[in-house]
Amino acid sequence: MTDPVVRCENVNIYYGEKQAINDISIDILPKQITAFIGPSGCGKSTFLRSLNRMNDTIDGCRMEGRILIDDEDIYAPEVDVVPLRARVGMVFQKPNPFPKSIFDNVAYGPKIHGLAKSSSELQTIVEHALKGSGLWEEVKDRLDQPGTGLSGGQQQRLCIARTIAVQPEIILMDEPCSALDPIATAKIEALMTDLAKDYTIIIVTHSMQQAARVSQKTAFFHLGDLIEYGDTTQMFTNPRESRTQDYITGRFG
Amino acid sequence: MTEKTAQQKQIEQRLQNSLKGRRAKERRFVWFGRSAIAVALIFLATLFISIGTKGIPGFFQHYVTLNVSLDAQRLDPLGDMSDQSFFDGEAKKLVYEAIYAELEASGRSKKKAARQILSNGSDVRLVSFVKNNIDKLDTVQPVKLALDDDADSYLRGFISKDTPEKLRRVNDIQIEYIEALQAKGLISYELSDYLFFGSASRNAEMAGIKGAFFGSIYTLFICFIIAFPLGVATAVYLEVFAPKNKVTEIIEININNLAAVPSVVFGILGLAIFINIFGLPRSIPLVGGIVLALMTLPTIIISSRASIRAVPPSIKDGALGVGASEMQATFHHVVPLAIPGMLTGAIIGMAQALGETAPLLMIGMVAFIVDIPNSVTDPGTVLPVQIFMWADFAERMFIQKTSSAIIILLGFLIAMNGIAILIRRKLERRW
Ligand SMILES: Nc1ncnc2c1ncn2[C@@H]1O[C@H](COP(=O)(O)OP(=O)(O)OP(=O)(O)O)[C@@H](O)[C@H]1O
Ligand SMILES: [Mg+2]
Repeated sequence: MTDPVVRCENVNIYYGEKQAINDISIDILPKQITAFIGPSGCGKSTFLRSLNRMNDTIDGCRMEGRILIDDEDIYAPEVDVVPLRARVGMVFQKPNPFPKSIFDNVAYGPKIHGLAKSSSELQTIVEHALKGSGLWEEVKDRLDQPGTGLSGGQQQRLCIARTIAVQPEIILMDEPCSALDPIATAKIEALMTDLAKDYTIIIVTHSMQQAARVSQKTAFFHLGDLIEYGDTTQMFTNPRESRTQDYITGRFG
Repeated sequence: MTEKTAQQKQIEQRLQNSLKGRRAKERRFVWFGRSAIAVALIFLATLFISIGTKGIPGFFQHYVTLNVSLDAQRLDPLGDMSDQSFFDGEAKKLVYEAIYAELEASGRSKKKAARQILSNGSDVRLVSFVKNNIDKLDTVQPVKLALDDDADSYLRGFISKDTPEKLRRVNDIQIEYIEALQAKGLISYELSDYLFFGSASRNAEMAGIKGAFFGSIYTLFICFIIAFPLGVATAVYLEVFAPKNKVTEIIEININNLAAVPSVVFGILGLAIFINIFGLPRSIPLVGGIVLALMTLPTIIISSRASIRAVPPSIKDGALGVGASEMQATFHHVVPLAIPGMLTGAIIGMAQALGETAPLLMIGMVAFIVDIPNSVTDPGTVLPVQIFMWADFAERMFIQKTSSAIIILLGFLIAMNGIAILIRRKLERRW
């Protein structure tokens, strides 16, 4: 049994007075894909964003409980969010490349963190990250072109390259394929499976098939509660909870 | 389904009826809109025509070309071409001799009439001609001199011969002389060099906007270098870093209110603080610029905040997501994207400042200053104040020059707005 990388203990999250996450405890295992599923508004994104403290940027959002990454409490007062977010990268629902060149998009993270000592080293990092996201062959001749000029699927892979360029431990993905067509989705899914060899991936998805295809573990959320968490195969064939069963089979949600 | 039921027919009928009403409403609305625009265009055209008809003649004036003997000994008695030497010299006499000779004027009253046709500044003009043509000393040269503004007004037909001589600003002998000069083909109607290169003067024919133009440039320069960085920094702080609490809320409300404060108030503030407390001199572009900066700040802050807010938050999230700090995400991504909007706001604010008179009157930029300012601490005035001063004078030529200066000010404004558009295009086209 491997040790979990992320341990969440009794996490409660509030937006002002409204509670969005109710007392969730969950352990996430390394070098695997964990899928968060559940009906709209159940708190998947909120919970995901709490793992790299992106919720800090929302006014009135408050968190209780403990989240440990590598046994370190990321909400401890002395923790700096900058290295935390370098360690826990995030890919968003809508592809959001910077309005800069493809190269600058990928190079941005390494640059601000001082990961490259020279420009040739930086080039290597960028090339490596773009290869890692499967985009290299498509863009190697136009690295100086704007990243916003790529197709939606390419933009999303560019955002993944941007994230892996800083060598995070964990990658959070919030519905990364919801704006993409089936072919681009298939590419990203293959990429995720590939990336899971080196990274811990947590993905929020509305597609049951996607969760079933790519993830090893699945967590089912409902109205801010964690209803069920377990192996994906077991969850999709033989769920313990009737609510999980109903959601997976499309009877509500 | 060939036959329509009675109910379907009824529904169709009602739809047709309501459609008619809707179309009529739409048509009426479009016509209201069009007539509003037409009225606006008519007013605009009237404005341009009235300024144009008065102002365009103001760009020109009458000159007379006289043969003046450039006697080196008399012009430059010290022989060193210095200002002092020319001041001691007899430039004025040489000019008068030239006009007496040309008109064959003799006797005190005729000579007086003859020399009053010429502008008071003719000696200065002669000296600058000599300075530019040193090789022509000690020869007789045709020199182009300006006519006095009354003679000019006569030539433009503003002064009628039928008015009794006592009520005219040009007497009968002068009219005779002007016509004689005209008959000899010595009088020319040309683009006025005094308007563009002259500075403040009580003589209408010599008054120009150069001093005020430079005053405006210096004042705007100070205004921009103070208001833009300060405004942008304030906007960034309020929009990104400031905690959302009562204090920031009050500050926000006050900034918005500040934008509506009458500009004279800023002038009084400038007078009280910069001149009375800090002891800065009056009438200088430095103080004018600071006062206008205070006035422009709210405009810049408000427009900068709007353009920061217009940057999609997903861009900032992306930067935060790879571990940029709040500061880095803001200055690497949000501000560069907001800059075109900020600059546009700033230039519009500056255009407003360019047209401002009242606060500058308070700090004494209305003084009569002949020298052209060479730095932000030289006393000066600005274009709108110059216009304001000229509009106060009764001479016909000042009325025209007022309109000309308005045209120049409008040109300046259009140029500034053009620059704003260019900057916008250039920066936005990057991606
Ligand atoms: N910025 C916010 N301010 C206030 N309430 C919020 C905010 N963001 C989310 N919420 C609320 O928190 C709850 C959880 O939202 P969350 O976005 O996490 O849901 P989700 O599971 O990701 O939904 P979806 O699948 O539609 O993305 C919802 O009830 C939502 O209304
Ligand atoms: Mg969501």
